[in-house]
Amino acid sequence: MARVNTDFIDEVRRSDGFDATACMHCGQCTAICPMGLDLLPRRLFFYVGAGLEDKVIENLETIFSCLLCRLCEENCPRDVHIAEDVRFLRNYINRKVHKLARI
Amino acid sequence: MPLPIAPLLGFLSDNLTKRRSVMPMSSRKTTRWAAGLDIPAGGETVLYTGLMYQIIPALTSSEKTMSLVQDSWVGQLLSFGRTVNRFVNLTSFMPPADRQEQKRYDQYLRNIVQLLRKAGVTEFGYLYGSELYTGALVRDLGVDDAFEQHARKVHKMLDRQGVRRVITVDPHTTDMLRNVYPKLVPGYNLEVKSYLEVLRESEARPKNRLESEAVIHDSCLYARYLDTVEQPRRLLEKAGVTARDPEFSGKMTFCCGGPVESLFPDKAGEIAGRRIKQLAEAGNDVVTMCPICLHNLEKAASGNGVSVRDISELLLQAYGG
Amino acid sequence: MEDRRIGVFICYCGGNISDYVEVEKVRAAVENEPGVVLAKTQMFACSDAAQDEMISDIKEKGLDGIVVASCSPKLHLYTFRAMSLRAGLNPFRYTQSNIREQCSWAHRDGGPFATEKAIRIVRAGIARARLSEPLATMRIETTPKVLVLGAGVAGLMASLTLADIGLPVFLVEKEPEVGGWTCKWGGMFPQGNGSDLVEGLLKKVKQREDITLFTRAEIIERTGSVGDFTAKIRVADGSVVSLEVGAIIVATGFDTYRPAEGEFGYGREGVWTLPEVKEWLAGNEGPLAVDGRPVESVAYIYCVGSRQPKDSELERPNLYCSRYCCSSALHTALQIHERNPEVHQFHLYRDMRSYGKYELLYEEASRKGSMFFRFENDAPPEILAESRRHIVRAKGQLEGDEVLDIPADLVVLVTGMVPRQNDALINVLKLPVGTDGFFNEIHPKLRPVETVMDGVFIVGASQGPKTLAESVASSLAGVSKSAALLKKGYVDLDPYIAMVNAERCVWCGKCLEACPYGAIEKSVLEGKEIASVIPSLCKGGGACVPVCPEDAIELKGYTSEEITAAIDALIEQVAAPVP
Repeated sequence: MARVNTDFIDEVRRSDGFDATACMHCGQCTAICPMGLDLLPRRLFFYVGAGLEDKVIENLETIFSCLLCRLCEENCPRDVHIAEDVRFLRNYINRKVHKLARI
Repeated sequence: MPLPIAPLLGFLSDNLTKRRSVMPMSSRKTTRWAAGLDIPAGGETVLYTGLMYQIIPALTSSEKTMSLVQDSWVGQLLSFGRTVNRFVNLTSFMPPADRQEQKRYDQYLRNIVQLLRKAGVTEFGYLYGSELYTGALVRDLGVDDAFEQHARKVHKMLDRQGVRRVITVDPHTTDMLRNVYPKLVPGYNLEVKSYLEVLRESEARPKNRLESEAVIHDSCLYARYLDTVEQPRRLLEKAGVTARDPEFSGKMTFCCGGPVESLFPDKAGEIAGRRIKQLAEAGNDVVTMCPICLHNLEKAASGNGVSVRDISELLLQAYGG
Repeated sequence: MEDRRIGVFICYCGGNISDYVEVEKVRAAVENEPGVVLAKTQMFACSDAAQDEMISDIKEKGLDGIVVASCSPKLHLYTFRAMSLRAGLNPFRYTQSNIREQCSWAHRDGGPFATEKAIRIVRAGIARARLSEPLATMRIETTPKVLVLGAGVAGLMASLTLADIGLPVFLVEKEPEVGGWTCKWGGMFPQGNGSDLVEGLLKKVKQREDITLFTRAEIIERTGSVGDFTAKIRVADGSVVSLEVGAIIVATGFDTYRPAEGEFGYGREGVWTLPEVKEWLAGNEGPLAVDGRPVESVAYIYCVGSRQPKDSELERPNLYCSRYCCSSALHTALQIHERNPEVHQFHLYRDMRSYGKYELLYEEASRKGSMFFRFENDAPPEILAESRRHIVRAKGQLEGDEVLDIPADLVVLVTGMVPRQNDALINVLKLPVGTDGFFNEIHPKLRPVETVMDGVFIVGASQGPKTLAESVASSLAGVSKSAALLKKGYVDLDPYIAMVNAERCVWCGKCLEACPYGAIEKSVLEGKEIASVIPSLCKGGGACVPVCPEDAIELKGYTSEEITAAIDALIEQVAAPVP
């Protein structure tokens, strides 16, 4: 069972960097991704929107595999800044999991 | 085994904060390409290499280290390595870069200087040993604190040097200086153009018509982050080079795999292989305009009958004379 | 009978008929039928030239009846009636025989039978024409006043516009207040406030001398017919007023779906329908709280009571989409966001139908953090209780069978529209009701507000689910149809109505039961009780004819004699079958 964690959503919301709430899960991004990742980015954004922090962290490796090449953004009907959103999640994980805190 | 992402990121960000680059190199190595070109030091307009063309050949050796990390016990020691690295520059213990390669990459920078001069753009200097890496890789990996700190450092340096305009040589540095820094650094006000844009605006005239074909591999950053698609094509066409577009090109260009090189070298190689296949279908003579693309595609192209060249090389043949 | 002078005109329809029917053979086969003095073929009978030719033939040969064998009367009945009139022939002595839709097009696979069948059809037409009598249309003077039932926004708008046109209005509202649902709902999409809207309209209505508003009033009886109705209204004090009007606009609106106890947790505090939430939002200014507990998380469940599956256990599932609810729920989410941007909002939907310009509401809500989860109809979300909150359990969002639990302080059941239960009104006006329970129009595209009851128009959500904007558009359509009817001053009615043979009639009442239009009444003729037909109400449906045990009722233009003659002609052997 996965439970929506609104605290995680709040944390994401507080940043200006994340705009994937506009994602409508059409999958155009995944279809064109050169990495051929079945997770990125549609599913990932769903996890974030639903506040499923554990699921996001579970997919750490996928998050770090993104090329940031933005091919998906050319395909995105909702103009989501997918690469920036992925980068935001990397930063989140670096702080939360990798403990790369402020220096 | 799971990849030790955290220690690696720590390693890179430590390098950036402590040694001003993710892959610290001596300034002797990073500036020797300019030897004999008599580029003035500093000035309001500077050619900014961002150290990209200099670091890439060194990567070849570090990649060997990283591949080792990914697949062996070395990875487990990396967290330990990070601690050590804070005090000792571990990068300096990496196998030295291939001298031949180093020289070849240095030559691209020399090409660019010559191209600019031939196009009548002569009023620019170079920051030599003061020049800093922009921190693009660390930002890409989401280590924002270290990156932001570094960005301010870079800006302070540029400010001290009185730089107002920057001519860049690669898309990553261009993106950082043009798109990313202004959002982070208060008071940042630099005019940033890539040398391809400068050449395109200069009405440079080719001395030789090449009458050849080239397959263009657009860099993701140039195409999608910087809107630089038309410039390289126009420069080539003016020189009599027929630009061939592969299946994915322009705004829809396909990544070379380079961005994940540092963390997932295997995946990077796989993507480069797919890209080479697409390019090969359009022709054998491929040109790139980013050192990362060049490096990755060259590796994937070996044995495929495809030659990959930096666009500066081709442009120099036409506009140099 | 043999002295009839009938002209027959057979159309090629430029090949539509003549490619399959040997038109000249048909002509030859019917030219010697009794009463026929002229039989011709024409390339296009409907063309101006052919009509002119018919007119001169009618005049020169002194024809007293014609048969045009061409297409369906649906296409050219009025064309040839008008032509007859121009030629000085009573238009009801013209008969159309359909040898295109009912013959040539049905026999495109070839074979000689098309021609034979055409001959039979034309002969049947001739047989009917031989018996045709001159009939006259009925002209009714119209009363230039309109009765509007229902003073929601649709009814208010209709009244004001009718008054603008110069038609006095009686506006009748059952409730003590005007404004229907709209005045309860505060903010409504795409903008504006419902109660303000109603207040503005009411103010205008009160300023108009030619609008008489009755509240707490109801129609209890209607007599008369199109252009000339009498309506009895029971008003607030219990007395009955009688109103003469030429048209009636029904704007009685809709009801909102009320979930069954326990349906998606309905009945528990904080599990409310969309209309309840809209009233709640409109009615309190302070911080959003349910049962004293601040609202931090809201879950919406869409399509509650709409688009119910055909095979559900419900007696009469609502198969339709209610049109307004998606957009309204999105707008509600934006209102809540404006009141408190910290609130988390989760939308569980089947299909997002914020169509047209309202798509922007979806866009805005999603950009402002609303999360959208789709569910399949066979796996609807469940609402579980958890201390003082609710858990909305959504399936199908995650891998495998893993469920997603969404904590919510407020669960909004996005309920749709249902037809208002108003059997008395249906009975009084004889309104046709569709299988969905809403009133039925004549033609969904071309006659969207007209009913089979001439002069009675159905507008707004009484006809089917609509947004407020659509409701107003529909009410203005009702206004224009009323004005088109009443501004002319009269209506002409077809003479094809029932007539009672007073000698045979024994007043059994069967015809009264059979008539859906209330056009039969009992009357007394020379001391004998008989049925009589109210000409203005009779639509010539003919339902009364076969039920009469005494054969005492006939339809003008379709008498038993005429129908029998046509059937006899149809079955008569065609002398020389065409090879």
